[in-house]
Amino acid sequence: MEALFLAMFKALVAGLLMGLVFALVALGLTIIFGVMDVVNFAHGEFLMVGMYATLLTAPLLGVDPVLTLPFSALVGAGLGVLCYHGLIRHLLRGPTIAQLFGTFGLMLFLRNLALMIMGSEPMIVHQGILVGKSFVVGPGIVLGATKLAAAALSLGAFWGAWWLIDRTKTGKALTATSLDKEAAMYMGISTERVNALAWALGGASVAVAGGLLVNFWPVDPNVGLLFTMIAFATVALGGFGSIKGALVAGVLIGMIVQAPPVWDAMLRLVGSDAAEGFTIHSLKYTFVYLIYFLIMVVRPQGLFGWKQ
Amino acid sequence: MALLEVREVSKDFGGLRANDRISFQVGADEVVGLIGPNGAGKTTLFNCVAGYYPVSGGQVFFDGQDITPLKDFQVCRLGLARTFQIFQASGDLSVAENVMVGAFVRTGSRRKARAKAEEWLEFLGIADAGGLMLSELPVARQKRVALATALASDPKLLLLDEVAAGLNAAEVDGLVKLLTRIHREKGLALLLTEHVMEMVMALSHRVVVLESGRKIAEGEPAQVVKDPEVIRAYLGDHLVSGENGHA
Amino acid sequence: MEAIRNAFDFSDFPRLDMTVAGAALVFLLAFPALPHSSFAMATMIQFLMFSLYGMGWNTIGGYAGQVDLGKAQYVGIGAYTTAVMMVRWDVPFWVSMPVGMALAVGWSFIIGYPLFKLKGHYFAIATIATSLVLKDLFEVWDFVGGAKGLELPLRGNFPDFLYLQFREDYYYFYILLAMFLAGLLFINGFRHSRLGYQLRAIKDNEDVARSLGINVHWCKIKAYAVATAYVAMVGSFHACYNFNIEPEDTMSLDLSVLIAMMAMLGGAGSLWGPIIGASILVPMRSYLGSWLGGQAGLAGLDLVIYGAIIMLIAAVQPRGVWGMVEAVRGRRRGV
Repeated sequence: MEALFLAMFKALVAGLLMGLVFALVALGLTIIFGVMDVVNFAHGEFLMVGMYATLLTAPLLGVDPVLTLPFSALVGAGLGVLCYHGLIRHLLRGPTIAQLFGTFGLMLFLRNLALMIMGSEPMIVHQGILVGKSFVVGPGIVLGATKLAAAALSLGAFWGAWWLIDRTKTGKALTATSLDKEAAMYMGISTERVNALAWALGGASVAVAGGLLVNFWPVDPNVGLLFTMIAFATVALGGFGSIKGALVAGVLIGMIVQAPPVWDAMLRLVGSDAAEGFTIHSLKYTFVYLIYFLIMVVRPQGLFGWKQ
Repeated sequence: MALLEVREVSKDFGGLRANDRISFQVGADEVVGLIGPNGAGKTTLFNCVAGYYPVSGGQVFFDGQDITPLKDFQVCRLGLARTFQIFQASGDLSVAENVMVGAFVRTGSRRKARAKAEEWLEFLGIADAGGLMLSELPVARQKRVALATALASDPKLLLLDEVAAGLNAAEVDGLVKLLTRIHREKGLALLLTEHVMEMVMALSHRVVVLESGRKIAEGEPAQVVKDPEVIRAYLGDHLVSGENGHA
Repeated sequence: MEAIRNAFDFSDFPRLDMTVAGAALVFLLAFPALPHSSFAMATMIQFLMFSLYGMGWNTIGGYAGQVDLGKAQYVGIGAYTTAVMMVRWDVPFWVSMPVGMALAVGWSFIIGYPLFKLKGHYFAIATIATSLVLKDLFEVWDFVGGAKGLELPLRGNFPDFLYLQFREDYYYFYILLAMFLAGLLFINGFRHSRLGYQLRAIKDNEDVARSLGINVHWCKIKAYAVATAYVAMVGSFHACYNFNIEPEDTMSLDLSVLIAMMAMLGGAGSLWGPIIGASILVPMRSYLGSWLGGQAGLAGLDLVIYGAIIMLIAAVQPRGVWGMVEAVRGRRRGV
């Protein structure tokens, strides 16, 4: 029984920390969707670019990985704007199918470009003030400094993005466009510029998430798909276009992903001999896909959604 | 026995009551006009009758059957067809193929569907447009395609939602003649909502007037237009009671 | 009777199209007799397989306009049914293939019912999610070999028409070609059928479609089932042809997208689209892959080019190659 409680507590803490990063990953997707109803399949690849950006620039500049985050943000924003002007803008004229395939092509392009340049070996940050340090919080509960910092900084970045959208004039133009594109146009807001801004903001936030993640999550060219799916599930759960929803849903998804040890502990507790060596742990991301499906069918507007 | 009987039908959107306990009937060989100022709830009522919206209260009977719980596609199969205000078919189907989709309600055979489609295109005077795409036609002819598509489903009653919108006087005239022919020669009952009053007056045997979601009058067209309440609804209170202000 | 006539009715295509199609058919029939490398033969078989995948996808993705990115799960069901039945119970291909198709179609009804409550992007992502769930489950399911997959036993007496085991590829080629022709005729009948017309009406405008007596939800599920039957059939074939299957190569998202891409590139919602798409993408993929992928430092370049082409097509001509042909002719005919 004690083992179960311990597993639950660990899952809660680990889920909260992981979930805050997931929230930041999903933020960019939800901003872009809210403003222009486009789903970016290459979202996870943006994250990958952010991961590599931090990984490569830290030794290059000789600074700690944490300090390269602004640079990652810049890379992400640049990538976002480039993709918007180079591709997305042209896809908007076509049917939905063209948008889906266009961003899918972008995903293949970025993923394999990374494969060409970086190779397929997984890489991770080895040196930095956070790496290898940890805090012992309680009996059997150890928190890695990298995860703690990632969660805290994610929350910070999330707050920053929210402030930008909710408190600045540019951000208000963004909100206005997502509420009613035509009305915003009549008020003199340029849709083009707002769209580009959404992609810059979306790219920057997900790249920062990548920079935080790479401190404890190895990066390889194929890392993107999992995070794209996590972001889709998060955004669906929170409600497409909802920023508050992304935060809450991110944490929930984080906890769901970290929960399988709890189920395993429960199974052991009831003495189930269901499949020797089989652990629910290996299915932890399957739950993420299932959640997306169930949420969309049962409650398509998500927890806080207003678009449907 | 009326072909269509609308009994105490209400429709709420959130807190807003768009239709409030409306009742009327359409006989098997009747043409009934449904009129009223903008926002009176005509299109909503239409959508309730056609099964496009579920009603909030009341019942709809068609051909002796309670169709209140039925969906729009089931209603169509019983012989109640409708047109839409905006008929947009942009994609893959040619004019004749569009009409065939209507004919497929009654047959699974492509040959029969094509024959039926050609028959209706001929009747509506657009046989020459069969091979074109809808977007290649002028608005007046697009409306005829929409009519042909609905008619090809072999309805007993046809609901026409603002078919004259966007047409000029000559085109409206042609449409009135056409609808008269459809009614007389094919024996169809018609229920139409319309902004263009001349059209309603020329076609309808009976008119039902809605205002703010309620039925305020019903009767022969010539009578109804003299009804003070109808005049007030259309022209507004200040014009009727305060004529001196404008004199 | 009329269904059979419809299947053979190509009268809405101009003579030029039918001449090209006839020439292509003659080429396909004669291909094994022409001098060719084994690599070319393998590519040709891939072309036929992906044509069939694309034709199937086209019913739901093209004619009905519902972007389905989860077809790989049904390839997997087909492939695994054949493999499991052969490995465990010694069941021949011609029995296990229809069983696999039936299982896949059954599963597609279960999945399709909730799935088609969704539209547009939401639908597309949900199809990915369902496919990934099934793949994850297969990876931990010992009965089907988990992540390692299954290997089909070699029976030793070549050629074995019952179990589809051959030394020479041309046996596979002709069997697949027969499936391809049957599949093509079926689709040709399908697009002339009531369902075919109704699906295109649904793609245009669902409200109007419903007002014309069309049960939109059910029609989509039926089209989805037809698409599923096609990919499951090819999946079964794939298991016999490869002798070895695993979740990663039969159920991955990449395969799902590739299937959709064939039809999309060639022209979704047109009869020839998937075939044209496969005839471009499959050779490009295998030859680019073998030329570039093998060289050190260039791994991935083929897929970079591939991604770029997809982006270009999506941005410039979302109706694909067939859309270009129609634009040149100035007419949209022969869907």
